[in-house]
Order: sequence, then structure tokens, then C-alpha cells
Amino acid sequence: MTPVPQSPVAAQPRAEGQLTLSAKRQGANSVLDRYRPSGAMKAMFPRRPGPLQAIAINSAGGITGGDRLAIAAEAGPGAHLILTTQAAERAYRAASGWGRFDTELRARAGSTLFWLPQELILYQGAALSRSLTIALEADARLLMVEPVIFGRTAMGERLTEAAFRDRIAIDRDGKPLYRDGLRLEGDLSARLARAGIGGGGGAMASVLYVAPDADAHLAALRAEMPPTGGATLLRQGVLAVRLIAEDGFHLRRHLLPVLDRLSQDTLPTSWRL
Amino acid sequence: MTMTTATRMTTALNIPSDPAMAGFDAGLLTLAQWMSPAYPLGSFAYSHGLESAIRAGWIATAADLRGWLEDLLQDGSGRADASFLWAAWRAETEAALLALDAEARAFSPAAERQREGARQGAAFARSTAAVWGIALPELLLPLAIGRAARLMGLDPQAACALYLQSFTSNLVSAAVRLIPLGQTEGQQVLAALSPLCPRIAAETSAGDPAAVYSNAFLSDIAAMTHETLEPRLFQS
Repeated sequence: MTPVPQSPVAAQPRAEGQLTLSAKRQGANSVLDRYRPSGAMKAMFPRRPGPLQAIAINSAGGITGGDRLAIAAEAGPGAHLILTTQAAERAYRAASGWGRFDTELRARAGSTLFWLPQELILYQGAALSRSLTIALEADARLLMVEPVIFGRTAMGERLTEAAFRDRIAIDRDGKPLYRDGLRLEGDLSARLARAGIGGGGGAMASVLYVAPDADAHLAALRAEMPPTGGATLLRQGVLAVRLIAEDGFHLRRHLLPVLDRLSQDTLPTSWRL
Repeated sequence: MTMTTATRMTTALNIPSDPAMAGFDAGLLTLAQWMSPAYPLGSFAYSHGLESAIRAGWIATAADLRGWLEDLLQDGSGRADASFLWAAWRAETEAALLALDAEARAFSPAAERQREGARQGAAFARSTAAVWGIALPELLLPLAIGRAARLMGLDPQAACALYLQSFTSNLVSAAVRLIPLGQTEGQQVLAALSPLCPRIAAETSAGDPAAVYSNAFLSDIAAMTHETLEPRLFQS
């Protein structure tokens, strides 16, 4: 299947929603500055001192063809914003057209931004196009993870018909810092079985850490990697991890120590459930 | 007398008017020279993660090698390189070209992979400037080739297809040393993969950097793990 991008008149969007929020620094803490939920997208804010934690919720309960979901968030100057999701995001079979999920993040000078969504699970028949754009200003720091599970592997599901496009663009002061693009369409299970792609693995994650101490974590992260994972210092202060695992369970098992280390044990509790 | 000689010489060198050469694009010879292992880019020093993939046991036979290289061409850095080569060929200004190079560097999945492209790009710029007198800024190899093809009026589709074939050929040579594999088997792998090269060159001709993708995750991971591989024959 190669789904045709939805024409504007062909189908009504099934679900729409945009979550907009920002964090600001207040003394030793980061607090909510602006918050605007709309449509299917809202957030919860567990009350605790230190960084502002925002748990994004898609009340449509997944994403399918024709959906338009978005997040726009900002860490203000000196603030620390931790964004995560309440649960794994499920991309269901699309009757027609692409579902879209677009995330646009900004981190102001002196801020720290953690983008730590839980897994995206692609179901048979899914057609999802995602984008993640992050603008880092001056010395802003970033921790990002994007875990993807290809089919409900625990149920033995194979993705013989699915389409997934993903684009990550991270800039520092308007200049490209990190780019990633992914485009898998058709029999995803067959593609992932190939030695150069997934070697039969059913789950994949990318981690990016941008901070002055990135170099100091490289050796420890390399040591924590399974044979199907790697860590590299793309440039001074920019550390990337890429990991393939047999399924979502093993992916998380390898990711948790990496994220605990890089988040300095501030990983949202939703990641523990 | 002098005039006659000069005229005759011009006629003799005027290749397109020679009926025996009709339809032959003489620019292919320049492209063949650039893509030859003899062109001093130091390509033989890079395995593009192949060395660590072989060490991990992911590639052990000619069939494995063919599958792996097919993934690179079809889904991985081969396709991404082809897109960037086209994008550089299409760039109208030096500023646009440098912005594309920054995109391509940010797209590199591993430090060694980026160094591989940067060092060969610099070597290509040096040799090409010295031989043909064209000026190239610091660019990753596929961008340097795209730009040079543009400056010299060479066919970009041919440049892209030949680049992909020489990229594959270089990795076949690395595999012949590492697996080990017979020279003939290596050439069979290359011959089997060659039809992919013009096809991918055609598919990537839009050269849109925002649409570049790479799904060859384990190839990228092999590029990462190579950074700590000991002992090693290759620089990537």
C-alpha cells in the first residue's frame, strides 16, 4: 500500500488538536507560563518542585488517517521543561489519507528541554507522517528520545501494509545541528528483516543529547549498548544514540539506563509504568 | 600554411563532428576519471561501517554483502548521498551550496561517517582544482561532485549514477579484503547492484534536502560501533 496524501476535499479530519504551552523560570523552579489545549490535545502537570513536567494527552486515543495533531512548546529563558506523553501513541489503520503529528519546540537561552515521548506503536495499515522541529537558542540544552515499535510484536503482528514518514530537524541559532529522516512504506516487516535496516528487530529508538557535558557520557553509553546499538559524538556537545531491539520491551530495557543517565534521574514517572 | 594546420587540428579534435563519435558524451570520461579508484580521494581507507558489521557477523558471504549494499543504496546513505549530490548540482549560489552542506553534515549518522565524507570531499576539491582549475569550497564528497559537475557542465544523472557505482565498488573492495571474498565474487556483487545506481539517481533527481531519508539503521549503528573497533584496517 502506498497511501495517497489526503486531498483537502476528500475526507474530513477525524481528530484535530493542538497543545500549546510554555515554561518560565521562577526562582529555583520552572512553572507554567502559557497553556492552551485545543481539540483532542491537552496536558497534565504533576506538581513538583524543580523542572516543569508536562504530560501530553491525546484524548482521541490514537491517530489514524486524516487526523491532525500538533504540539507547540517552549522552554523560556533559564527554564527547564520536561515533555512526555501519558501513554504510548498508537497509530491505527488508516481508512484513507495520512494522519499527521507535528511537534514544534523551542528552547530559549539558558534553558533545558527534555522531549521524552513514550513509544509510538505502528499498527497494521497505519499511515502516519510526523515531524519534529526543535529550535535551540544560544546555550540551550536538549535531551530527546523517539522510540518506535513496528507492530504489536507481542501479539505476533506483522506490518505487511503500513506507511511511516518521520522527519527530525534540530537547529542551533538557525543553523542545522541534527537531521534525521525516515520513510518506510509497504511491507515494513520485510524491510525491517533486512540486515542493513533492522536485522529482524521490531523496535527502534533515536536519542539525542545536546549539552556541554555530552562528551563525558560517551564511554558509559557505549558500554550500555547491546550489539544492535551505537553511540557517537556527532560534534562537540552533541551525542547521538541509535538502537534496534527485538520488541518494545527490550527497547525500553536498553533505553531506561540511557535516559536515566542523561536526564540525571529526572525521567517522568510515566516512563516507569 | 600555419592557418591550414591549425584548422586541420581543430577539425581533428572536434569530437562531436566526427561521425564515429556521434552520440557519445565526452564528459563521461571526466566523470569516469573522478570515480576511478586512481583518483586520489583515499577512498580505500573507508569501509563505511562494513568492517564492524563483518566483525559482528552480520555479513559473511557474497549474498550477505549484496543484501547489505542493496540496503545502503535503496534505503540508506547511498540514496541520501544521491539526493545531496543532486541538491548541490541544483544550487544556484555559493551560499545555498554551503547551507546544503550544513544540512548534509547534520544528517550524518555518526562522527566517522561525517569525517569520511569531509576528508574525501576535501581531497576531491584539491585534485579537481589542480587539474581543471575549478574552485570548490569545503564540501562533503557527494556535494563536491554535484557542484563540480555543475561547474563543468557534466550530466548530473550520469554523475550521480557513477558516484553510486563507485561508492558500491569501493565497499566491495573493502569486503574482498575483510570477509574474505574472491575478486570474481566481488565483481559479481557489483554487477548485480549496478542497475540500482541509475534508478536511484533518477529517483533522487529533485534533490530536496527536506525530503532526504535513511532507513538503514543497522548500517548507521555499524558506523557508530566502528568508532571503538579494535583492531581495525579501515578509518570508518
